[in-house]
Amino acid sequence: MALSGLRVLELAGLAPAPLCGMILADFGARVVRVDRAPRSAVAADAQGRGKRSLALDLKRPAGAAALRRLCRGADVLVEPFRHGVMEKLGLGPEVLLQENPRLIYARLTGFGQSGKYAKSAGHDINYLALSGVLSKLGRKDENPYAPVNLLADFAGGGVMCAMGIIIALYERTKSGKGQIVDASMVEGAAYLSSFLWKSQNLGLWNRPRGENLLDSGAPFYETYKTSDGKYMAVGAIEPQFYEQLVKGLGLDSNKLPSQLSFSDWPKMKKMFASIFAQKTQTEWCSIFDSTDACVTPVLSFDDAASHQHNKQRGSFIKNDQEEISPRPAPLLSRTPAVPSFKRDPFIGEHTEEILLEYGFTKQEIAKLHSDKVIEFSKPKANL
Amino acid sequence: MALSGLRVLELAGLAPAPLCGMILADFGARVVRVDRAPRSAVAADAQGRGKRSLALDLKRPAGAAALRRLCRGADVLVEPFRHGVMEKLGLGPEVLLQENPRLIYARLTGFGQSGKYAKSAGHDINYLALSGVLSKLGRKDENPYAPVNLLADFAGGGVMCAMGIIIALYERTKSGKGQIVDASMVEGAAYLSSFLWKSQNLGLWNRPRGLGLDSNKLPSQLSFSDWPKMKKMFASIFAQKTQTEWCSIFDSTDACVTPVLSFDDAASHQHNKQRGSFIKNDQEEISPRPAPLLSRTPAVPSFKRDPFIGEHTEEILLEYGFTKQEIAKLHSDKVIEFSKPKANL
Repeated sequence: MALSGLRVLELAGLAPAPLCGMILADFGARVVRVDRAPRSAVAADAQGRGKRSLALDLKRPAGAAALRRLCRGADVLVEPFRHGVMEKLGLGPEVLLQENPRLIYARLTGFGQSGKYAKSAGHDINYLALSGVLSKLGRKDENPYAPVNLLADFAGGGVMCAMGIIIALYERTKSGKGQIVDASMVEGAAYLSSFLWKSQNLGLWNRPRGENLLDSGAPFYETYKTSDGKYMAVGAIEPQFYEQLVKGLGLDSNKLPSQLSFSDWPKMKKMFASIFAQKTQTEWCSIFDSTDACVTPVLSFDDAASHQHNKQRGSFIKNDQEEISPRPAPLLSRTPAVPSFKRDPFIGEHTEEILLEYGFTKQEIAKLHSDKVIEFSKPKANL
Repeated sequence: MALSGLRVLELAGLAPAPLCGMILADFGARVVRVDRAPRSAVAADAQGRGKRSLALDLKRPAGAAALRRLCRGADVLVEPFRHGVMEKLGLGPEVLLQENPRLIYARLTGFGQSGKYAKSAGHDINYLALSGVLSKLGRKDENPYAPVNLLADFAGGGVMCAMGIIIALYERTKSGKGQIVDASMVEGAAYLSSFLWKSQNLGLWNRPRGLGLDSNKLPSQLSFSDWPKMKKMFASIFAQKTQTEWCSIFDSTDACVTPVLSFDDAASHQHNKQRGSFIKNDQEEISPRPAPLLSRTPAVPSFKRDPFIGEHTEEILLEYGFTKQEIAKLHSDKVIEFSKPKANL
C-alpha cells in the first residue's frame, strides 16, 4: 500500500486528529492511537478504523518518557493540543526532533501554534468564523450557517493536516529530514476556500449573502422539496444545462425571464418550488437521470449507500459489524487504500504488543503497568 | 520547497482542478496550465497563482500529439473531463502510462470514472446531494443548504485530489511507478465527512436535521426540549451589544465565542495578522496563505499576477524539448496560441 511501513503515533483527541490518523491508516500506515489512562469519560474516537490503541498516562513522568521513546522509532506524530501542552510535558518539537530528526511532528489545532487565540478553546464554528468563510454561508435574511463541523474540523483540519504530513514525507525522501507541520483549522478552511477570495472581481459575490449565484440566491442552484417530503438538488449553471432543467420542469424558456435576471430570481424560486412539489423524488429522478440538467436527488445516508451509481462505484463500504461508511478517497489504481473491516480498537487493546514492537522489554512493560502508567484493556493481563 | 522539481500539467477546467494545481504550485511544483485555443468565453481560472499558461487546441491532432509529448516529460497530469473525453483524444491513461510509466494521471470529476452518472453533467450541489452529506445540512424546517461550492468542488475535490497525487508521488519514490488517481467529488465529500456516518450511534444525530449541534455541548446543557427557548434567549442577549463589545467580553476566555468576520475583517483581525494567515500579492489582492505550515520547507505562494492565457506557450514547449521550428509550425497552423502582443519566431 502507498504508505506501508510508516509508523504513526496519534495522540487521542476530538474529531480532527482522528480523521487525519484514519486517512493515514486507510492508505497503509501503521497508526497507533495513544489514548489516555486512566480512561477518560469523553466519547471514544469514532474514526478508529485500522488503528491500534495504546493507553498511557502522559501526565506521569514515566508515561511521558515512554512516549518520548516511542517517538524515536516513529515517522509521524500527530498531536491536537493547544500550544504549550506538549512543551510542558517535555515533548515539544525541539526535543523530539533532536532525538529523531526524521520525525514529522504534526500539530493540528483550531487557531494554530501562534497568535492571540493560540491558547484559547474553540470549535469548528469559531475557526470558520475567524477565517472569514462563515460570513459567506447561509440564506438571505438569516444568520450565517456553519455546515455541521465539516469545513474546519474535517476539510480544513483532518484532511489538510494529512495532506501536509504526506507532503513532508515526500520531501523527506529527498532531504532525509523531518519537520513540524503547523496545521491551523482557521487557515485550512480559508485555504481550501481560496476561490471565494480570488473570484471577488468576477461578479459572483457582489450581492448580500444568500443572493448570489452559488449561495442560494439563484433558482437554478438550490434544493427543492418534492411531493413525498424529500428533496432534489439543482445545479444548472450553464445555459445548455439550464435549458434541460427548464424542459424537464415542463416549462417553456421563451416565456421565462432570462436566466441571469437577478431581480426575477425570488419569483423563479417560488415557481420552481411549486413545480417540484408536484412529483415524488423518484418521479423527478426518472425525468432527470441521464440528462445534463444537473438535477440529482438529495440522498439520505441509507439511500446514498444503495443508490445505483454509488453501488456501481463501490462508494460505500460495510465492515464486519455491518456498519456503513464512505470508502476512502481518492481511488489510486495501483496502490489503493485498503480500509480495515475489523471493528475499531478498544482503548488500550494493543498496549503491550505495541510497546514490545517499539523495543520495550517485558520487564519494563510490567513495571509501567504495575505503576499504572499504562493500561491494558484485555480482561486477563498476563505478564 | 517540498515539491520542487516536479512537473505538473493541469488541463484547464472549472474550480476544482485549478485548486488542485494551485496547491501543488504553492508547495513548489512547476505547474503548467494547458488552456484552450482558440480562447474560450468562460471565465478564466481564478486560482492561477504560481502557474504558467500554455494555450493549445486539443481537438486538432497536432495539438493532442503535442500534449502527448509533454506528458512524456511530466510527473503529474490533472484532467477534469468526464470519462471518455481523454480517451477519444487518444490521451487516455493506458496510452500515456505506457509511454511514461512514472506518470501520475489524476482524473478529477464529480461522479468519478465509472457508474451510471459518469457521463452526466453536474455541479457541487449535485455531488453533495448524491453523497448523502447534503441531507445533513441546513436549518430545521428549511430545505437542505449547500455551503456554496466548498464541500464537493474544493474540500472533496481539489484538496482531496491533491492529497491523492502526493500520496501517489510518495509511493512512487519506493516503487518507481506512477498510477491513476480517480478522484470523485461525491466520494471525496463523503470521505471527509466520515465522522457523520461513524458517529451515528453516539446520539449526535438522533433528532431531525437542525436540532443537532447548534449550541455548545457542555453536558449540563443537553436538555433538548429547552433548546429552542434557549436560542431565543441567547439571541435577545446578543442583540444588545455590538460585535466589538462582545469580543472584548469573550476574547481570552474559553467560552468558545468568536466574531463572524467578513473577508476584510478576517484579514485585519489581530490573531490572523499575528499568524500571517492572509497574504497580499503584487496587485494588492488578498487571499488565504497556503496551509498547512511546514516549518522547514513551507509553501511559497507566488506574489505575481496570475498568467494570461497562452502567456508561456513558447517557453514551455522549448523547455519540454520542442524545437523552434516545431513551435513555429504549430503556431502558424493555429494549433497553439501565444498571448504576447509580438510573437517573434
